[in-house]
Amino acid sequence: MSLTDRIAQGLESGWKVTDGATLTENQTAEADVVIVGTGAGGGTTAEILAKSGLSVILVEEGRLYYQKDFKMDELTSYANLYQEGMSRVTKDGAISILQGRCVGGSTTVNWTSSFRTPDATLNYWAKQFGLDALSPEAMAPWFEGRETRHSVSPWRVDPNLNNDVLRQGCEKLGFSWQVIPRNVKGCWNLGYCGVGCPTNAKQGALTTTIPGALDHNARMYHGLRADRLVMKQGRIDALQATAMASDGITPTNITVTLKARHFVVAASAIGSPGLLLRSDLPDPYERVGKRSFIHPVNASVAQMPERVDPFYGAPQSIYSDEFNFRNGVDGEAGYKLEVPPLHPAMSAGVVPGHGDQQAKNLAGLPWMQSVIALMRDGFHKDSPGGTVSLRDDGSPMLDYPVTDYLWKGLRRAFYTMAEIQFAAGADRVRLMHLDSDWYSSWADAKAAIDGFSMEPHRVRLFTAHQMGGCAMGSNPEESVVNGFGEHHHVSNLSVHDASIFPTSIGANPQLSVYALAARNSVRLAQRLKA
Amino acid sequence: MTNPIPQPEGLDSVHLNRRSFLRTGLGGALFLGTVSVTAGLSGCATTPTGRLGAVETRMDARYQFQFLTADDIDLFEALLPAILGSAIPEQPQHRRMAIAGTVERIDAGIHKFGPANQKELRQLFDLLNFGFTRITIARVWSPWPNVTTKQANAFLDRWRSSSIGLFNNGYMALTKISNVAFYGYPENWHLSGYPGPPEWAVKALPQFRNA
Repeated sequence: MSLTDRIAQGLESGWKVTDGATLTENQTAEADVVIVGTGAGGGTTAEILAKSGLSVILVEEGRLYYQKDFKMDELTSYANLYQEGMSRVTKDGAISILQGRCVGGSTTVNWTSSFRTPDATLNYWAKQFGLDALSPEAMAPWFEGRETRHSVSPWRVDPNLNNDVLRQGCEKLGFSWQVIPRNVKGCWNLGYCGVGCPTNAKQGALTTTIPGALDHNARMYHGLRADRLVMKQGRIDALQATAMASDGITPTNITVTLKARHFVVAASAIGSPGLLLRSDLPDPYERVGKRSFIHPVNASVAQMPERVDPFYGAPQSIYSDEFNFRNGVDGEAGYKLEVPPLHPAMSAGVVPGHGDQQAKNLAGLPWMQSVIALMRDGFHKDSPGGTVSLRDDGSPMLDYPVTDYLWKGLRRAFYTMAEIQFAAGADRVRLMHLDSDWYSSWADAKAAIDGFSMEPHRVRLFTAHQMGGCAMGSNPEESVVNGFGEHHHVSNLSVHDASIFPTSIGANPQLSVYALAARNSVRLAQRLKA
Repeated sequence: MTNPIPQPEGLDSVHLNRRSFLRTGLGGALFLGTVSVTAGLSGCATTPTGRLGAVETRMDARYQFQFLTADDIDLFEALLPAILGSAIPEQPQHRRMAIAGTVERIDAGIHKFGPANQKELRQLFDLLNFGFTRITIARVWSPWPNVTTKQANAFLDRWRSSSIGLFNNGYMALTKISNVAFYGYPENWHLSGYPGPPEWAVKALPQFRNA
């Protein structure tokens, strides 16, 4: 049980934290390293570099929210902690993008699931992209180190019923299942991870590496949007940034210029390509913003005979990899099965419907259970991923066309999820599809799924994991950065977030980002101090 | 884009022309852009409402609208009874308050969406508010203040079941933003059987104690 608030203490003790909204004059600042983004990658990098004695400036477009702001309320949290107030979608509007925008990034609002990059994924990366140094054996100590730093361990408390239904269904059908490792310390088992952990139990960047960096003299600007990296004589000279008003979305007319010897971009798989594109950096093979992956998610909802209370208890504690690598790493689309928490606003937005029918659906929330399937995209030639490009105003936008390969996988996932829910005793099941009814038997559900048109909008799709867009690889014709996140064409630029993944990974990505960022930051610190 | 709206020669041909036109994403985007400009020129109330008198709008006069125009508010006042159905009270005064409060929260939510998605919604609302496209595209004959709940429901069902992605997208945008603003509001939590954060946790956590 931890009620010590490190942020409040740190701010009081004189941390160098500047709120962009309070700036009244244009200004310039300088450090050894400027880091864009304070999420999984930015926080890890900042702490390691600051501890090594380098001066560090962190830049965060979102705002600093911490325990005092986390009141377990969906509406305020969705508006303040998520990209575009939780309205971010892909270009055609068909996929809802859940992504953080605040200090700590998506790690402030994720559901704490922490997985190492699957061996099969690392081996695929070595083989396909020349990333031999990222073998499971080589990466093991980095995973271990970050698991310690973020207090990752398998959740020891009984799963809530929402999660146990997945376990029961898998047991009945002979599907494998495991307990999810979580990055929590002294967790109260409340279930509000997705709206900001109210007890400081979640060990994301906000409660670990950001305080660590600030304790070691790092300086952080929040409410400051990174606009462009400006090059001079073949190297990046400065980052130009715009201060944002306290509403978090209106730019002010104050600009901040940040100079450094080295720049690390960790602004997410949508933000980082966006920044590189706005900056017009050398990109001879047009790789920036390409091969963007999202673990497309489809979902099923069940009505159970007993009260589930899917809004209480650790949100994710059971998973199944039965179907993840079943067809090999690059065969038919594989998927990971998990369970989402169901709070009223999220449920009202996710279950497609209106009127009396919707009111009836939502009145049943306490008896509702849900399973989600995360498609492992990017491992097959028919899964080339999406593209991040710039809108007229310079903001980044993701276009993600869902291919037949993925539609086939998504339909298979509908079958699997419904079958599991019925096996676990569901009274009725409804798929998240505009044409889905409530089905009272597996046979009925199966027949309905057979007839579903698998099309954008009709299939309700989501993503909580954004990856790729600044892929790593040994061949500059196929990648943006090398195996250490170092940009192929700009000597003082690194990318340290999930945008460097050359494919998706088949697991919730925070631990992978922590581990790669740690490895790459240790090397960067050595280079810069030499 | 010389003649974006084909003249009606008969219901079928309008249906077909409209459908094929909107199928091309480019046509859709340009079309919506044209509508926005035209709507502005023809004098629709297109500036954010600011603060409206409680008498005019039957709302709390203290709330300052940041995005929704008077036309947008008419649109939502017509749609919300259909979107929320039996979840809103029957009693007229309570019903008005429920709708008014939801409209305010919708406005606050859209403000936080930021400029990019605000622009998308502006195009959608303009299409629905501009008489000509309200009729030819949404097939809603009456101005929104005169639209019955049955008619609003029929419109929503049409867009939900349409094979035109743009309409599905519009359906989801309208219903999602309304459902979230309504069911997410603490006073409406009981409608989803959600008791709120556990009492014992609220009592134990420092952020809930008054300063």
